Amino acid sequence: MERTLQVLNELERDGVLSRYAIGGAMGATFYIEPLLTFDLDVIVLLPETKGGLLTLTPLYEVLRAKGYAEEGECVVIEGVPVQFLPAYNALLEEALREALGMPYQATSTRVLRVEHLVAICVQTGRAKDRERVRILREQATLDDEYLAAVLRRHQLEGRWKEWSD
Amino acid sequence: MERMERLIPEIEQLFRAKERRRARLAAMPFPEKVRAVVQMQKMVAPLLRGRGLQVRIWEMKSIDDTH
Repeated sequence: MERTLQVLNELERDGVLSRYAIGGAMGATFYIEPLLTFDLDVIVLLPETKGGLLTLTPLYEVLRAKGYAEEGECVVIEGVPVQFLPAYNALLEEALREALGMPYQATSTRVLRVEHLVAICVQTGRAKDRERVRILREQATLDDEYLAAVLRRHQLEGRWKEWSD
Repeated sequence: MERMERLIPEIEQLFRAKERRRARLAAMPFPEKVRAVVQMQKMVAPLLRGRGLQVRIWEMKSIDDTH
């Protein structure tokens, strides 16, 4: 896992990625009890391409050249299947911008703020997202004001109220 | 009814213990949580594979990861 994060840091340093942060179940696991997952979800901001197209192809090509194989929708980096998700909307862009730097043993990494993890679940809106929100609210320390502002900015207050009832 | 009343305090105690355990797990350092996730993967993988799902258990190669 540490080596996987080092590879992600290298990709960022080399400009293959503009910025990355851990999200999904592993992101949530930073704040709550460990959640079962088989993928490391990584939100990425990609460098702008000439045509302005949002594509993971250049990233996949670099990883392939480094010897990391694709497996389904993931790339296996140092034994950990990593799923890259480009920041495709304003909420993910903001979440990535405001992600927190954290150490993982001797390696630094970045994790989405817990309030953004909640907001992303609310936006995605599946049953499992609702369950994750329940656990995050129960176990993590949320900054209520910060969360309210995120939900307001991204028009998610309606579903949040619905889920809070 | 009498039996129910006798059981409830025991069940409440179990739930409280469960809550304490979850709080303890949530407070663990992240590398320990990652090890717990890998343990869970090892436990669940045979069941998922039995249902025809392909899953990969994370490799924990580095010395730090295996402590």
